[in-house]
Amino acid sequence: MSIVAAPPSRYGRLMTSLLRVTLRLDTSINKIYPTDFNPLYYTGGLTNLFLFVLVLSGIFLFFYYEASLGAAFESVRYISDVVPYGGIIRGVHRYAADGFIVGVLLHVFRNWFTDRYLFSRDNPWISGMFLLLFGGFIGFTGYQLVWDERAQLLTSMFIAMLRSIPAVGEPLARVFLGGEGIGEGTLVRILFLHIVPASTLYALLWWHYLRLRHPKIWPPGVWVLFVVGIVFLLAGVIPAISGQPAAPASRPTSFPLDVFFLLPFWLLNWLSPGVVVFLSVALFAAGLAVPYFSRRETPARMGVRHAGVAQVIDGNCTGCELCYFDCPYNAIIMVDSPGPGLSKAAANRTLLAVVLESRCVECGICIGACPFEALELPKLMERDVLSHIANAVQPAQI
Amino acid sequence: MTSPKIVGFICDWSIDIAPLLSGNRLSDLPNVYIIRVPCSGFVRPGWLEDALNQGADGVFVTGCPYGDCLNREGNFLMRDRVDQLQRRLQRRRIDPARMAMLAHGLHDRTEFLSDVQAFSDRLSEIATAKAKPVPSAEPAPAPGGSP
Repeated sequence: MSIVAAPPSRYGRLMTSLLRVTLRLDTSINKIYPTDFNPLYYTGGLTNLFLFVLVLSGIFLFFYYEASLGAAFESVRYISDVVPYGGIIRGVHRYAADGFIVGVLLHVFRNWFTDRYLFSRDNPWISGMFLLLFGGFIGFTGYQLVWDERAQLLTSMFIAMLRSIPAVGEPLARVFLGGEGIGEGTLVRILFLHIVPASTLYALLWWHYLRLRHPKIWPPGVWVLFVVGIVFLLAGVIPAISGQPAAPASRPTSFPLDVFFLLPFWLLNWLSPGVVVFLSVALFAAGLAVPYFSRRETPARMGVRHAGVAQVIDGNCTGCELCYFDCPYNAIIMVDSPGPGLSKAAANRTLLAVVLESRCVECGICIGACPFEALELPKLMERDVLSHIANAVQPAQI
Repeated sequence: MTSPKIVGFICDWSIDIAPLLSGNRLSDLPNVYIIRVPCSGFVRPGWLEDALNQGADGVFVTGCPYGDCLNREGNFLMRDRVDQLQRRLQRRRIDPARMAMLAHGLHDRTEFLSDVQAFSDRLSEIATAKAKPVPSAEPAPAPGGSP
């Protein structure tokens, strides 16, 4: 019954202190900003904003980009130097990408430390892992598109990593390159692998929000202006530039490292490609496993009841939508009412609430939301609570 | 005077309440009757009002710390409902300080108990103030604070 029966492990104590630090950081920032403007409450929304900026600037760049070995570098130079505001837009695309990754990492760690991935909330976590994977890969292909020396080196490093995978590695590398080596088809494929995963991010975001009611997907207006302003300012002050053009004969051995996207390649300084691939896969698998193997408090240990999926009492439901607005998991939908309810208040309803069993977590928030006694948890009914209250106030006991 | 009758709704995920209980009442404060609920958002505001109408001197709801609700929004929703209900009580000339929303994490046992003790003391004061005809004071802010 009691959680204190087992002393918390070292991991448990660490996570509890991280949770407290995170919440304390929230409250201290809330003293500076009004609660609605606390940027830490909008790490996801800010990331979404960066993604939106990336999509818009990316469409602009796509109009001028030429995906071929001979013309890619030159077309990027043309965007930077000749196209009006092209250099700015290119810089915006670069710095918004960095902001995107920073926002994603803040979002991941914040939700990890505050336990917002446990039990029924694994859905956003798992989809978030895929979003992180796709986001990182898009950043990597983006660095290749410029086709300077760094891009060339990155490509050969990536090919070495692919080839180190047993069995499927060699075919994968051939698919990625469009042939045995870097050829005319390669940059087209890389462009495809830049844009299609970026579009897929929006399908993954749908999955990310699927079980969330009222997700905060957009930061407050002032933060939008501030962030977009910062990105444009950075793009103007520190323009994004290419390195030396790639040439088949050149054998560059070092390149300026972007800490946000290219960390796996940095590891190649010391580790063999196979080990780096293995580490990346292991990290991703560990991320997927986090919701299932880091539970410090399980419902059984906490003595939490299994209250049963919320049930709508058809006769009392007035179709007022209050439960629909309050359910945090999107588990209640409103359907056209098949007929009038039984109670006086429900006689003229047009809608009826329906609980989606697969999304319900039995928390009972809809019961608190319903003023018409039209929802019940089967194993903790209103009459149980009322009999408790009657017990509590009876005079004999005091 | 006798100690005030208090009904407390406790979220299963907030305080680790089992060691503090004897039967359904707090061992330290036997005037407090505890009803465990799956989430603070489960509590229907009507029940809080019912409890006051049936003779309880005070009711409180304990949820997790704000921002740390297992169900994302349960404690925020409940805080809003309690605020709303307090305004309604004021219109009905019932002292809104008889209702409180607390927020405590799993291990905040001492803070929880001192908050409940303070709540109980305030209810006693209200009762003695009511015995003497004094114009009712401003409603005291709910303990627990806001984030």
